[in-house]
Amino acid sequence: MKFWEIGKRNLKEIYRNRVVLGFLLGMPLAFMLVFCSAFAGGEASPIFTSIVDEDHSQSSSAFIQYLGTINAIKLNEWIYSEESQAQKDLEDNRISFYLLIPSGFEEAKQAKQTTNLELVYKAADPMIGLQVKPIIEAVGSEFLGVAPPLVVELKGTESKIKNEPVNFFAPGIAVFGLMILIATGASMIAGDREKGFLARMLTTPAKPWDFILGYSLPFIPVLIISTLIYLGVGMAMGLTIVGNLGYAFLIFFLIGLCSIGIAMIVGTLLKSESQAPICWVFIVPMAMISGVWFSVEGMPSTVRNVAGALPFIHAIDASRAVINGSSLSAVMPDLYWLVGWAAVLFAAGIMLFRRTMVS
Amino acid sequence: MNAIQTFKLVKKFDGLVAVNGVDLEIKEGELFSLLGPNGAGKTTTIRMLCCLLKPTSGTASILGYDIAKQPFKVKKLIGVSPQDTVLSEHLNCWENLALIGKIHGLSSNEVNRRSKELLETMGLMERSKDQVRKFSGGMKRRLSIAMSLVHDPELLFLDEPTLGLDPQARRTIWEYIAQLKGKKTILLTTHYMEEADSLSDRVGIINEGKVVALGTSQELKTTTFEMRSMVVSAENLTAEVMEDLRNKYSRVEEVNGELKISHKNLDFKEIVDYLHSRGVTVYSAVLEQPTLEAVFIQITGKKLRD
Repeated sequence: MKFWEIGKRNLKEIYRNRVVLGFLLGMPLAFMLVFCSAFAGGEASPIFTSIVDEDHSQSSSAFIQYLGTINAIKLNEWIYSEESQAQKDLEDNRISFYLLIPSGFEEAKQAKQTTNLELVYKAADPMIGLQVKPIIEAVGSEFLGVAPPLVVELKGTESKIKNEPVNFFAPGIAVFGLMILIATGASMIAGDREKGFLARMLTTPAKPWDFILGYSLPFIPVLIISTLIYLGVGMAMGLTIVGNLGYAFLIFFLIGLCSIGIAMIVGTLLKSESQAPICWVFIVPMAMISGVWFSVEGMPSTVRNVAGALPFIHAIDASRAVINGSSLSAVMPDLYWLVGWAAVLFAAGIMLFRRTMVS
Repeated sequence: MNAIQTFKLVKKFDGLVAVNGVDLEIKEGELFSLLGPNGAGKTTTIRMLCCLLKPTSGTASILGYDIAKQPFKVKKLIGVSPQDTVLSEHLNCWENLALIGKIHGLSSNEVNRRSKELLETMGLMERSKDQVRKFSGGMKRRLSIAMSLVHDPELLFLDEPTLGLDPQARRTIWEYIAQLKGKKTILLTTHYMEEADSLSDRVGIINEGKVVALGTSQELKTTTFEMRSMVVSAENLTAEVMEDLRNKYSRVEEVNGELKISHKNLDFKEIVDYLHSRGVTVYSAVLEQPTLEAVFIQITGKKLRD
């Protein structure tokens, strides 16, 4: 029964280490709570919907009004009369998709005939179209008085993107990959603290910023190389860089810096290396609500507000946009957010580290 | 100016008093040993003096700088070899030494010169380019001491510098510490009484967080034991002679066929002359020297490893 003795020892090691236990039990809890609050329940946010009315008729106006009463969508107050204007706003990231009511809509209604509506989305963000399509189909059929299926055509914007899912997922996966730096960086500091090496270094005249910058430094080349890998492998696997590769690199670099900044804070607070997996309790839910795997459109507003306050969603949105052709100015607010977060995180890391230098 | 001066230094951990009002004055250039059983407060005292722990009350100054108010000034002047031999395991000797040297502001040339000196002295030159994770405990300990010296600090803290080493490695380190005597102020903690006895200018015994004895090794021995003893190996000891000795001296006993006489202000010559005058053949007579360990046990009531 030697295995039993070894097993008992290991069990005690786990359940007496509160942080490890907290991770093991907290992870599924956090995972499910975030997942459920993001995707379940009846409080999903209405989807912001823009309309292009080419019919300019009473019927089209009535349909738009009718759409306005549907809880699942929130109408853009600005109704486009020309598709070209909506196309431009779509390109500049001001709207994420639009519904085109074609001319001849009124005639079709009067004749109680079916008609084709178009849902135009950005080629790089196909998820949103799939989400809205069934809503429009149901509402349109009801309004026109025709039996479903009403034809709602999904139409991506014309673009040079060869593989839309790759262009959607690759930036998110890259940002998620860079979030792993949080766990790695934190465990490095915590490991040195646990072994006593940090205490030895603390007897030298090095200042708190020397430690924070010193522990961040090795991750900069890691960040650069891993960003190049994400972009390079992504491109090899079909990622189309329509916009500027340099801008994409800059955005990934900034979110990588934010991750390192978080690592410094977490590492400063952890007592031992075995506590480092606690980072995943934060990383996975953040990735989930920041749009790494799913579109954040339709998530409850509270969840979106939390995600919006943190840097990751900004990095994912901005990197998707610049890869798909947006200009730098279109993503400037996201960039400011990322730079601001990086600065705040490093400043907080230094302040916290200073407090832990003497116990 | 004292190199180290503490003022009623106290450190409590969750109600446990680890250091309880320690007052120490250690002069510049002095080698001072702090002795005490495990958990007596030696390492906690050193950690406070190195600015790693904040005193609960009281304070200390290192070469005139307050440990709480001017920690970075203090850190510039000290070298520390911690009890746990913590090195950067994937670096080699040169890299470990350069790390500490350069943080202390040494140029590359200075670091190389100092490292070369130290690696030669510590007998590490042959393996100097190997990653230290492959080193034996003794080699790591020697490198750890070298790291505390690379920037030529004015004050050196050596916390159990020879702990866990074999006698030969221990002796090498003692010899090196002996060479530093007078050149640097050294605060040493140790379990090895011989180490403290032979190296120290002064010794402080700390027990349950308090300094319970302070002085040179000799002072401690003479003040701790009131009586001195001599051991005589002799023949023709009659019952009459024994009776006389018992009347004259505080304690007379026969131990392993030898005569042990203990008395305050024992006079060696007087006893030998008396024995001769009574026809006793004296083969040898030795004045027994109290050891520091005996002093320690007498004062603390504990053995060092208790």
